[in-house]
Amino acid sequence: MIVWLLLLLGLGRTPATYTVEIRGMEFHPAALTVSVGDTVVWVNQDIVPHSATATGGTKWDTGVLKQGQTGRYVARARGSARYVCTLHPTMHGKLIIR
Amino acid sequence: MSRSKHQALFFAAALVYAGSLHAQNPAAAPDLSDPEVAHVAVTANSIDIDFAKFAQTRTHNAGVKQFAQTMITDHTAVNEQAAALAKKLGVTPADNAVSQSLQSGAKEARAKLEPLHGAAFDRAYMDREVAYHQAVLDAIDKVLIPTTDNADLKALLTAVRPAVATHLEHAKQLRGQLGAPARASK
Repeated sequence: MIVWLLLLLGLGRTPATYTVEIRGMEFHPAALTVSVGDTVVWVNQDIVPHSATATGGTKWDTGVLKQGQTGRYVARARGSARYVCTLHPTMHGKLIIR
Repeated sequence: MSRSKHQALFFAAALVYAGSLHAQNPAAAPDLSDPEVAHVAVTANSIDIDFAKFAQTRTHNAGVKQFAQTMITDHTAVNEQAAALAKKLGVTPADNAVSQSLQSGAKEARAKLEPLHGAAFDRAYMDREVAYHQAVLDAIDKVLIPTTDNADLKALLTAVRPAVATHLEHAKQLRGQLGAPARASK
């Protein structure tokens, strides 16, 4: 019974890892929905450096990622956040945490 | 060196110097040796980096300063890729008339920017960046990608194109925020 309750509440699940590819000066996918506890990994596949930096609410920032480098963020609280590449402000993404 | 390699290097150089020459038709450019073409590529990229460094010392606009930093970062990265391609093709850059012409043109452009300060400088610098990236984008779309058959170069062009387009969009947005230039008094 307790196990079922935990599963129903989503507390017994194993955290997942999601990947956002940065290629062609875009985030793929541009919008991603994850659960609390999940990890999001950004992989820069472009020649030029990028970042994934939250623009409001919870502050998080991968820092500058050169080609081939990765940055990660563990979703800690529910909510949604838009993020940008600080080097290229015309690049936008959205992370939704449920 | 094979003709295809020569063409690859020529187009690599055209990619970066077309903007500096304001969309000069690469087909009409002087016949250069591979080492000279490689030198042109490095020179043209370095010129835009130098302009960005100059802009950083002159501007007080946070957006322009950030844009200039991005140009330094990105063009350095592209230069490294171009250098890697030249190395792969076995070419050592050699100074030449086109490189010297680019340097001369950059000197003239720099002289036009030198007396400007404040908003006037920001507008002039961003005007140049819009024109530069538009010219490079046109060269990529209309000449370089359609005409090259070198797989390495086509991959580099394809990888660089979105960055140039993003730079152009960024430059236009920023230029738009700076407003129209003041009318010259008669």
